[in-house]
Amino acid sequence: MVEFFLQSPDLVIFLVLLALGYAAGSLAEKRHYKSIEKRERELVRLAVVTAEGSFPPGRVRQAFLVSGSTVVSIDYFKRLLAILRNIFGGRVKAYESLVDRARREAILRMKAEAQQRGAGMILNLRLETATIGRNANRKNQVGSVEAIAYGTAIVFNK
Amino acid sequence: MKFTPRLPDENVNVSRTHPLAELAWLLGGLLLLCLLVFGGLGLAVDLTVDHLPTRVENWLGDYARRQFPARESAPLQRRLDALTAVLPPGSPLRDRIFRVRLSSDPRVNAVALPGNTIVIFSGLLDAVTSENELSMVLAHELGHFAHRDHLRQLGRGLVITAVAALLFGERSGVTELASDLFLTWQASYSRRQEAAADAYALELLVARYGQAAGATDLFARLAAKKGRRPSRLLASHPYPEKRIELLRQLIEQRGFPIAERTPLGDDLRRLSAEEAGKGE
Repeated sequence: MVEFFLQSPDLVIFLVLLALGYAAGSLAEKRHYKSIEKRERELVRLAVVTAEGSFPPGRVRQAFLVSGSTVVSIDYFKRLLAILRNIFGGRVKAYESLVDRARREAILRMKAEAQQRGAGMILNLRLETATIGRNANRKNQVGSVEAIAYGTAIVFNK
Repeated sequence: MKFTPRLPDENVNVSRTHPLAELAWLLGGLLLLCLLVFGGLGLAVDLTVDHLPTRVENWLGDYARRQFPARESAPLQRRLDALTAVLPPGSPLRDRIFRVRLSSDPRVNAVALPGNTIVIFSGLLDAVTSENELSMVLAHELGHFAHRDHLRQLGRGLVITAVAALLFGERSGVTELASDLFLTWQASYSRRQEAAADAYALELLVARYGQAAGATDLFARLAAKKGRRPSRLLASHPYPEKRIELLRQLIEQRGFPIAERTPLGDDLRRLSAEEAGKGE
């Protein structure tokens, strides 16, 4: 058995990368979700809506664009799951959490910017996602997902 | 409408399946798929191999020869010609012209390639000590030709590589891994095929020399020094002790005489020394 592994370094590298991807990926995801949830609680009072708003004259002091973007990388383990999923079809569960994290992080950054500049509300939230990175469009490479959130921040008159 | 800030109770956007459980399901499914494809196509290969036209075999041979760079060698060819001359009159191998080539590979191994080519690795040339041993190896490979084992093995390896290429793409790491792994496993013949080739080789050896000396020498020597350096001939051909035992039984059953071994000819010794010099 040991001999077999020694004779196939490709397989050993593959397994090591897989274990590394799983361990590091899971840890990073856990910590990221913890931080996301904490900040979401902190920023929950800042309203974000997708509707276009209209306010009575004199209510709005300032309106400006705020945006937040984030890039999250796919780990080796998730990529393997996605490759296998490509064979059978169905929901690519490995990527769902990735995109979820990217979107929520982007919204949080957008909200952080709005809060910093004294906004009380964000109108007309928009979300975009894209694959990104040197290897985004190349096969066999680990890519990343980018999410960008933008909207109109409103500063109200007191 | 009044806006009430509130966090959602649960996240519906992420599936709750544990990633390792998903991996297990997907791998299980893939394994099942592979078994079905491998079994099914393997069976198809077994059925078609017996009816494969010579033209196709020659084309496969050209492809296989590129994987094993080797050169022609007159001393080895003379040994092979002496063997093919004593093939039984009814043998289908009589209609074919066999070539033997020498590869500068230090492993102790020999392979039968499609297109009537036998490749002897220089490591094997270094390991043999008598004409009889070398003839036994050549006859063994001829046995694989007689039973068309060489095509069976190549067929399965090709099937697996083709399937991996379909699933993962031609230049994917997974495909390369699959083809490497399966071709390595597939390069070994099954024990049943090995035993059949051994029996064939023994008959031919006796037809050539009139006696069975040297039939088991090489295996015995390799088995004895197995612990020191794992040889490829043993790794791909399991249970050398069992093979030796089987050959001894056959010799006894058929009453083949065992006499003196013919020492290695000068031309072969020179060839072996040349190869050894190259390797340094």
